[in-house]
Amino acid sequence: MSTVSEPLVSSSRSLTAARRHKSIRKNSRRIYSAYQDHHSSDDEDKEDERVDSNDPEEMFQNIQYQKEIIANIRTRPWPMRRKLKVLKQAREIVLKYEGRLTRTRGYQTAGADLLKKLSRLLYNIVVIFVPWEMRIKKIESHFGSGVASYFIFLRWLFGINIVLTIMTGAFIVLPELLAGAPFGTTRTQDLDTIWSLGGYLQYSVLFYGYYGSVRKIGSAGYRLPLAYFLVGMAVFAYSFIILLRKMAKNSRLSLASASDENFTFCWRVFCAWDYLIGNPEAAESKGAAIVNNIREAIVEEQEKKKDTSLAVLISLRILANILVLLSLAGSIYIIYFVVDRSQKLEQEKPELTLWEKNEVVSVVVSLITMIAPSAFELVAQLEMYHPRTSLRFQLARVLVLYLGNLYSLIIALLDKVNSMSSAVPLSSGNWSDTSSFLATISQPEVDSLSTLVSEISVSEHHNSTIAPIAAVLDISNSSRSSSSFVSNQTALFEKNTRSQQDQCWETYVGQEMLKLSIIDMIFTVASILLIDFIRGLVVRYLSDCCCWDLESKFPEYGEFKIAENVLHLIYNQGMIWMGAFFSPCLPAFNVLKLIGLMYLRSWAVLTCNVPHQQVFRASRSNNFYLAMLLFMLFLCMLPTIFAIVRYRPSQHCGPFSGQEKIYDIISETVASDFPLWFSKVMSYVTSPVVVLPALLLLFMLIYYLQAIARSLKFTNTQLRMQLQTERTEDKKKVFQMAAARLQAPEAVAEKTTDQQESDITSQEASIHTPSPRRNGSITNFQSPVRRGNSIRTIAQSASRADLNRSVTGSVRSPTVTILPKHRLEHIPNRPAPFLGGTSGTCRSKSYHHIVYNPPGRSPDNIHSDPLYRKTVCSVHPVEAAGIIAAQSYAGRRGHTTRYVIVNEHEPRKKLLRSATRIPRHYLMEEPTEVLELYPRNIKRYTARTNEEEEEQGKGRERVSLGKAHRTRHMESYVKPKTRQKLEKPLTESDSASLASSSDQQNSSTDQYIQVIHNKERYFKSDARQGKVAKRKFKTNLDLNLSESNDLLCSNV
Amino acid sequence: MGNKQTIFTDEQLDAYQDCTFFTRKEILRLHSRYHELAPHLVPMDYTNDPECKLPLALIVNMPELKENPFRNRIIESFSEDGQGNLSFNEFVDMFSVLSEMAPRELKAIYAFKIYDFNVDNYLCKEDLEKTLNKLTKEELTPEEVELVCEKAIEEADLDGDNKLSFADFENMISRAPDFLSTFHIRI
Repeated sequence: MSTVSEPLVSSSRSLTAARRHKSIRKNSRRIYSAYQDHHSSDDEDKEDERVDSNDPEEMFQNIQYQKEIIANIRTRPWPMRRKLKVLKQAREIVLKYEGRLTRTRGYQTAGADLLKKLSRLLYNIVVIFVPWEMRIKKIESHFGSGVASYFIFLRWLFGINIVLTIMTGAFIVLPELLAGAPFGTTRTQDLDTIWSLGGYLQYSVLFYGYYGSVRKIGSAGYRLPLAYFLVGMAVFAYSFIILLRKMAKNSRLSLASASDENFTFCWRVFCAWDYLIGNPEAAESKGAAIVNNIREAIVEEQEKKKDTSLAVLISLRILANILVLLSLAGSIYIIYFVVDRSQKLEQEKPELTLWEKNEVVSVVVSLITMIAPSAFELVAQLEMYHPRTSLRFQLARVLVLYLGNLYSLIIALLDKVNSMSSAVPLSSGNWSDTSSFLATISQPEVDSLSTLVSEISVSEHHNSTIAPIAAVLDISNSSRSSSSFVSNQTALFEKNTRSQQDQCWETYVGQEMLKLSIIDMIFTVASILLIDFIRGLVVRYLSDCCCWDLESKFPEYGEFKIAENVLHLIYNQGMIWMGAFFSPCLPAFNVLKLIGLMYLRSWAVLTCNVPHQQVFRASRSNNFYLAMLLFMLFLCMLPTIFAIVRYRPSQHCGPFSGQEKIYDIISETVASDFPLWFSKVMSYVTSPVVVLPALLLLFMLIYYLQAIARSLKFTNTQLRMQLQTERTEDKKKVFQMAAARLQAPEAVAEKTTDQQESDITSQEASIHTPSPRRNGSITNFQSPVRRGNSIRTIAQSASRADLNRSVTGSVRSPTVTILPKHRLEHIPNRPAPFLGGTSGTCRSKSYHHIVYNPPGRSPDNIHSDPLYRKTVCSVHPVEAAGIIAAQSYAGRRGHTTRYVIVNEHEPRKKLLRSATRIPRHYLMEEPTEVLELYPRNIKRYTARTNEEEEEQGKGRERVSLGKAHRTRHMESYVKPKTRQKLEKPLTESDSASLASSSDQQNSSTDQYIQVIHNKERYFKSDARQGKVAKRKFKTNLDLNLSESNDLLCSNV
Repeated sequence: MGNKQTIFTDEQLDAYQDCTFFTRKEILRLHSRYHELAPHLVPMDYTNDPECKLPLALIVNMPELKENPFRNRIIESFSEDGQGNLSFNEFVDMFSVLSEMAPRELKAIYAFKIYDFNVDNYLCKEDLEKTLNKLTKEELTPEEVELVCEKAIEEADLDGDNKLSFADFENMISRAPDFLSTFHIRI
């Protein structure tokens, strides 16, 4: 056949069609290749090579396609040998053609490879530095993922605290240590001051009071106060961001599993084993963990079936809740009372005992946090909830308790601060007045003054301090009342300086927080040692000399309570957040604490704890913990923010001394250190005129995003439902297929004859169908190999399509109704398409094509032209589909091609089901496959020789003669007479049957319908007619089919 | 290794890299591991694709597989003859699929094969029982095993035929949060 250039192909329409086609092909690849075997892929490749060699567009596509093979071959589930083979071929093709197109892609891929390797290397290095990985793995293998989640959470908190420590350390503590002028000097170093964080520690980098208020320190002019404020805020900001990011990541990971937890058993069976385990001990403990896990699931399952009387249950639950509320209220009252008492004591007696002075508050708080959860647990036993629910309740209660504790503590503290700052002006109003007066009068003197004042406060015992103070007062020219005041009342002065020192309420709050944290740590250690370790020892060694079994009865071994421990971590972190602003070293301390906790806990867990008998995961991902942590962060941030906004910073200590409000540092910096325009802009930006609309905008955004999220959720559920229904439909089809397979086992044996028959049948069908668009197919024959021709054909027939559209519309419904009948009748003849012989499948295939065409055609009617061109532009589809179909049809190219096309277009419908791999037999049965007529033709042309086409031509000629439809294109045919003769009788018999069937049909004008109806008849008559024509039609099979296709086309 | 003696040609190495998730070095290491299993059987020179298969008994003793309850099934499902004899190609293939780079879909296909003890393309109750017994070293009572099998099939079986097809299995496994991280052998 001559090569014809394609003017039509170059139209933009064909290009888009080609593009679409390409994407479809890709998808089909991806979807179907994974679970299908593909023996004939090499065949296809070669065909591609042959076919595509002259069109640059196709060549490019081919190369892209081959490259895709190369890129994705590793994800194919084929044996390695075949992968290698296919790869080699694909490479050859690419190598052969790529030179004609471009080489830049080669560099791109090389670069991508390099990048991939680098990232992998980096990843490997990062993994090495993850701390405690082995420890956690070990715990995981002993106690399961639940306990491990505690340690993973701990490690994550550790990471956060490290970052916080670095932030505060690098931007606050280090500059101050290096360049700042320290406020305090060492006074005493006895146990008392260390224990109570007073003395030296009080004036160390640990606390707010140490930091100087000099605006710029060091030679570089580091703005420490500004940095202090910004870092204090950044601590919160960072914590928020990292928390939210982690939560978002977790929820993304658990998106699939979050929907329903109905795979608990499956997951526990199929995903339980960790294939990484390579050491016998780990394997042992993993095995134990799996047994544990499965038992847990069983218990949970049985738990569902339990039920007790409702009234008792409800009253019990009410009682339990009342008890919990009472204990919560009690704990809050106790804390408030203790803080209040310590304050009173301090006012009454200047000399307090160690116990009274400091530790009452924090000890009481720690005691409550230790005891109350156990009490709650006892109470929870009353309620008899499902274990998971009771765990949730327990968690919520403990969280409320912790929050209540922290809040009552901080409120009591702030109360104290409040009374402190209000009491001081009363007693030494003049004093404070003068100092603030000084600060305002002489700006340069402020620094010296503040240092002086601090000296005074430190050296309160020395009476000689009066002199410098007097000097200061002289300098400031305000000596009228205060000097006399100072000289007159030395006793009062002592008290004043004292309260002045205490007046640094920020330090006071920081001290309390640090104290609380330390005491909490001590209590944790003590409880681990006492409750877990000693108990474990007792149970272990005294069980022999006791009358009951200690290990299983009363004391038992301590259980590792994940939920309480996680909450404790959260509580601990809350304290850190609360105090971080006032005590910059708190995160650093927390880092140490967490390290200690990690080792101690893991040791305790491995030595003296037993796994919780009913280990329920609090949540599949750790998002539950994270949500609580976020809640905690927010609530802990509030008091700090409140204090910053509400209270005036201490006058004589800290980086913000002398300012009205802490945040004034920002406006001050903006005003003094930035250009004028900037402060102007800032004043505009912060004015209500801008802030209010911005807020509004934010609200609108939130609302909008939420609406989108809601709609997405809705779509999600809908898609899931759709997936479900489609899957069930598919299943039904499988059943039908299976039934058919059972009914017709003998068909496999007869496959060769069957095939012949089917060939004939299909031919008959096609022959007898009247094809209105005869002209189109005839043009095809003129040069069947070349696509250009076929395109021309379509162009010609396009006008015809309009005419026939009405016909097809009417046709559709009758055919649809009849379809099932056809299928059923045919089942006995058809061998199992999936497992059965090759020919059998082919036959059923062809049958289905013909039968199903009408229903599926309707969409094609509209799109007939683009479709056609699309297929014309590239022959890849054949190959793509070939993968699926090839398995059983290797070596029978004609049939393969047919399948191929069917499958190739499947994706259009199936794209949505990308996840499900539909077994091959589904594909065959899909009604949609009908869309695929055009490509088949083309494929055949390319693959076949002239002879066949001639035959085809003859068959068609015959038909068209009979129908007297369109004869004008006939002359182009070469007509060897010999074959025609043999075909004639068949045609006649078929036409006879057609005529008879048309009687039954109401719409006798619509011959197409009749053909379809008569299908069964043809098949029945297969037996006799097939024998006659068997030899002749071996090669004709494809021709016949193509004719049937043409018929369909013509109806369009 | 490469400079001492050529085990693979460059093209071979490239091809292996394309077909697996391994780097050149890893492939060479895999070869040395394979060679170590049976030094007298496995040639050092692979440039001309020698036919050489190692029996299951040898491969099972690799430390990576030794503790795995499904080791026999893993090897069997990767061997082309189904008997557990692995050529080097299949050996590489096995570890490629089990490497951490392999996508979930691919892993799911082979996981299905591994758990399909009787190779009937379905996970039936019998398969599940075998899986469970291997997994728990028969520590569960028969009633428990029975219950778990029933429940598992009930959960994942979408069409109600009392066995799990690959579609069922994949649907189930694609939602498992830790499948990817556990179905993975580091070599």
